[in-house]
Amino acid sequence: MRSQCQHMMAAFKARLKTFEDLLGADKIDRGKLRKECYQGCPENNCRALCWKLLLNYLPLQRSEWEKEKAKQRAAYRNFIQELIIIPGQKAKSNLSANGTLADHPLNPNPDSQWQEDFKDNDMLMQIDKDCRRLCPDLFFFQRATEFPCEELVKAGSNVETLRKRVEHSVLKSETVARNRQGITVNRSNSRRKSEDYIALKEGEEAHWEVVERILFIYAKLNPGLNYVQGMNEILGPIYYTFATDHDDDCRTNAEADSFFCFTNLMAEIRDSFIKSLDESQCGIGYSMELLYRKLREQDVALWHRLEEVELKPQFFAFRWLTLMLSQEFPLPDVLRIWDSLFADANRFDFLIYICMAMLVLVRNEILTSDFPSIMKLVQNFPHNRIDIHTVLAKATELSFRQS
Amino acid sequence: MAKKTYDLLFKLLLIGDSGVGKTCLLFRFSDDAFNTTFISTIGIDFKIKTVELGGKKIKLQIWDTAGQERFHTITTSYYRGAMGIMLVYDITNAKTFENISKWLRNIDEHANEDVEKMILGNKCDMEDKRQVATARGDSIAKEHCIPFLETSAKANINVEKAFMDLAQAILNKTPGRVAEPGGVNVSSQETGSKKCC
Ligand SMILES: Nc1nc2c(ncn2[C@@H]2O[C@H](COP(=O)(O)OP(=O)(O)OP(=O)(O)O)[C@@H](O)[C@H]2O)c(=O)[nH]1
Ligand SMILES: [Mg+2]
Repeated sequence: MRSQCQHMMAAFKARLKTFEDLLGADKIDRGKLRKECYQGCPENNCRALCWKLLLNYLPLQRSEWEKEKAKQRAAYRNFIQELIIIPGQKAKSNLSANGTLADHPLNPNPDSQWQEDFKDNDMLMQIDKDCRRLCPDLFFFQRATEFPCEELVKAGSNVETLRKRVEHSVLKSETVARNRQGITVNRSNSRRKSEDYIALKEGEEAHWEVVERILFIYAKLNPGLNYVQGMNEILGPIYYTFATDHDDDCRTNAEADSFFCFTNLMAEIRDSFIKSLDESQCGIGYSMELLYRKLREQDVALWHRLEEVELKPQFFAFRWLTLMLSQEFPLPDVLRIWDSLFADANRFDFLIYICMAMLVLVRNEILTSDFPSIMKLVQNFPHNRIDIHTVLAKATELSFRQS
Repeated sequence: MAKKTYDLLFKLLLIGDSGVGKTCLLFRFSDDAFNTTFISTIGIDFKIKTVELGGKKIKLQIWDTAGQERFHTITTSYYRGAMGIMLVYDITNAKTFENISKWLRNIDEHANEDVEKMILGNKCDMEDKRQVATARGDSIAKEHCIPFLETSAKANINVEKAFMDLAQAILNKTPGRVAEPGGVNVSSQETGSKKCC
């Protein structure tokens, strides 16, 4: 027992040393980095740094890191300035200029901010709903961040924050709806119930609000894509990793850094979020087909059973693939899976193998159960029974068998 | 193969804007509990519940869909097989009510012609935040000859009734559609869902 424990400690230390050497080099060896990360980054230690490198946020040349980080973080501050603070100041002054609204909903001027604001508010409400519901089993996202956006939350700020904006648009639509019914009610005191914002003091921001801001900025900068539900589940684990790192610089800049890593990651997976690409060679429809095709090559009986009961990949693999399994496993497992995914040189081929492994590992149940039982099984993968290491080992085995 | 433990199988579908409470309603019905913190539904979710109606064991296969526009190509593919569809809006959010007609059009386009429908105005426990009067829900339902209920997944109001009513409506016209062992009683179709038009 004792010697086994010592053995594990020694192995862990050796693993840390490997990563320290790897990440301490003047120029990071990308091949080696991939190889090591594929086996899993050491917890709470250098995962954040590894992901920044694997997602091409940081260059391989160590001496360029500081300059690069400074540049990107400044750019992000600019985005906040242009997309939230300046419009927020306008909104605030527009509100207070009582009676003499410079801009208003019926403004015929095509430059009117209102049309755009309405669209933005709809999007923001959707982001808001999803971010509140992010990783509910984890208290982390409800907690206050140590590093709120000072300009937004400081006392006497003359900016309408995203939170206020959500409150206002709820209020506005309430008033509009009531007026249409011909009911006049004084609802000026109808603030959102305090239960919606758990015990945060003035000047504080919850982590989910930071995530909300990142998603809002991303959506504003990518109008063709906009916000799609599920993006929160992609950003969540990245932000969590950066905001809980042991390194101060990493935690302090978790917001900006995760914005860029998310942006880079989305550049690779965005096609699954685009409806019009569903049936194309790069869309999610194609990935789902690929999963079944590869399964057929590996395990005809299993594939045949799924076809027989007409269990289409849309019924479960849509979520598995678009969210990179982030809803199928608890967060620590998700982080471990993503180590391997980000390390994949043919990024996200390995995701298909993990999905296949998950199916193969419950093959006996699939072969002997009826449609509803199989549906339940694949919608709630039994991660308590089949641990993540078994899944990843199986996925690796499958990927070797095919190549 | 496993023995059949039910007499009939009904496939139901829940649709409506994101955040109106579809997943909560289904959870209330299947597990008799409420959970404020459901993650948003991506693609589709699925639950089974067996109920008894008119002396028959009926297995309800209920599909819960994602509300956001992006998922429509994925979700409309389930319309075809559905025998009953719940259309849900949120009484505290006027927009979700306005979209009911859009969802109705979706049904016309993608579902079987004879699919049973039901409109639910959810979150009726939040009277102080109400934006959609009960009368408005009533009138759109009448206009389309669809049964209507206000529900609350949170306070457990009308949830069971909603699902049972929908199942009953399907049951009422079942003999005419499904050949049952032991003779089909076609005339019972007449006593079936006689609606306003
Ligand atoms: N007060 C109240 N809140 C409710 C009720 N039903 C749902 N909610 C709340 O509404 C929010 C959204 O509920 P969901 O069931 O996740 O909504 P959905 O329609 O499934 O949304 P999508 O999956 O995004 O399409 C949750 O935060 C619930 O707490 C209700 O009857 N009363
Ligand atoms: Mg849902």
